[in-house]
Amino acid sequence: MKASSAERVKDVISYTYVLLISGLLLLPFTVILMRSLTATLPDGSTTFSIKAYFDIIASFWPKVYLSLSIAITTIIIDTAIGVPAAYALVRYNFRGKKTLFTMLNGVWYVPGICYALSLIITYYFLYKWFLGYWGFIAAYTCGFLMLMLMTCIVAFRYVDPCYEESATCLGAGRFATFFKVTLPMVGPGVSAGILLTFVLSFNEFITALLLNLATRLQTAPVRVYADITRARVLPSISAEAAVLQLISLAVVLVYLKVVGTKYLRGVVLI
Amino acid sequence: MTTNERLKPLALLTPAIALEVGLFFVPVGILAIASLTFRDSFFFTPVWTLSNYANIFSNAYAFDFEITFGLITLAAFLDLMLGFPFAYIMTRRIRKYQDVFRAIMLVPLFGELYIAYGFYYLFFPGGPLSFLFASGVEMFRALYSLPAAVIALAIYTFPFSVYNIGISLQGIDRSIEESARCLGAGSIRTFVNVTLPMCIPGIIGAWLVSIGWGLGAFAIPILMGGAVVAERMLSVEVYSMALLRMDFGMASAIGVILAVIAVIIFYVSLKASRGALI
Repeated sequence: MKASSAERVKDVISYTYVLLISGLLLLPFTVILMRSLTATLPDGSTTFSIKAYFDIIASFWPKVYLSLSIAITTIIIDTAIGVPAAYALVRYNFRGKKTLFTMLNGVWYVPGICYALSLIITYYFLYKWFLGYWGFIAAYTCGFLMLMLMTCIVAFRYVDPCYEESATCLGAGRFATFFKVTLPMVGPGVSAGILLTFVLSFNEFITALLLNLATRLQTAPVRVYADITRARVLPSISAEAAVLQLISLAVVLVYLKVVGTKYLRGVVLI
Repeated sequence: MTTNERLKPLALLTPAIALEVGLFFVPVGILAIASLTFRDSFFFTPVWTLSNYANIFSNAYAFDFEITFGLITLAAFLDLMLGFPFAYIMTRRIRKYQDVFRAIMLVPLFGELYIAYGFYYLFFPGGPLSFLFASGVEMFRALYSLPAAVIALAIYTFPFSVYNIGISLQGIDRSIEESARCLGAGSIRTFVNVTLPMCIPGIIGAWLVSIGWGLGAFAIPILMGGAVVAERMLSVEVYSMALLRMDFGMASAIGVILAVIAVIIFYVSLKASRGALI
């Protein structure tokens, strides 16, 4: 009896602590959301209002569409490149595999601002045709390929090769085996990579800020930043930031509802 | 047949390798070359010079390094203080609603811009916390103060730090702790003498990863740092040197130094916390 009540006290303390930290992590988001839902009346008092969200439709949503299209194109290219690469890294043994893997991850370890600067210098100097929409795609596919690789490697490790072998024994060709056996089994793992690539490339800020000057294309997060430096804390700017976070949050929640956290563990979650 | 087998992984990996070489190694190489040229001469007729690096290692930039590393080291310590109990509780005690807390851990990944903006508004005159300060001057001091920037940075790097600690906590064989308990050690003694020493590599790894991510932070210092931090943080210095003063040589040199420091930090942290990857 005594032991169980001590356990209960520990549980209460544990949950309180985790809730407090979660509140701290959500604090910036909550503050932005609250600000976007308030409007100041002429006499100085504040009231609940969703007017700010209607104010930004004309000016801000085109930027959101641009960000979405960049994120989706990035995902398609990264999946096409990352899944075969992860398959090769898990299923085959060859010399220098570890070095190659570290090399492929290199971009992840360089601070965003350095990578962005090196990209715009290279675009100006060498890849002039990238000064436009495809410059963003190129930057993000390379920058976030590592996420797709990591999640797919975790997913391929979950799949026992004996299923593939038995499919081959039963007469399935190489492509039939891959598309009918391997791919359905790693699908959820690949979707974790897609989720992370979406969240990060949709909200990517530093590279987009530097490319903004060169390409005259303004993605949604850069627009939010430009508005903050121009007009500080208006409700409409908070609404812009809130819209981006709500889209990201909705995607995350739908993903967690459908797939769960299994494939994100070992990549970005404990 | 064997050559065919050997060529298959190469064929599957070629697009990924081509992408990384073309868009990472070539640009970083060009950045390193550009760092050896004077101002923006790289784009016209390069004037080779080492003065950029001489500048960085002169006293002019000592304060920049001090402020950058002071800020991110403090944030990394805060991460450890808050993150170790969090990771411990998450891996050992939380059974219900685990996925909800995991989902919340993904929110800081959305980007530091929103964290910076949230805190910016929090301390802004007329914002939710402005009642804490009596006069307007005090409010601006809070907005542009180190503690606010440190907390914001800590929130940004929190998930990475918790992830590293959590991986090392999960790697601990629970039976070792149980045998310590069986041999008569109390729960505190077991924790201090058994659990803690075993996850020291994870803690060091988490601390280094926080520092590595903090190095790349840009929106937080520029929005929350005020005159001192926003002007002198190295990541902001790269941006303002390149795009405001058009001194691409100097910006590249700072960028190269930052990148080298970050790569060393991440390399050591990978060695310290085997397995953990971010």
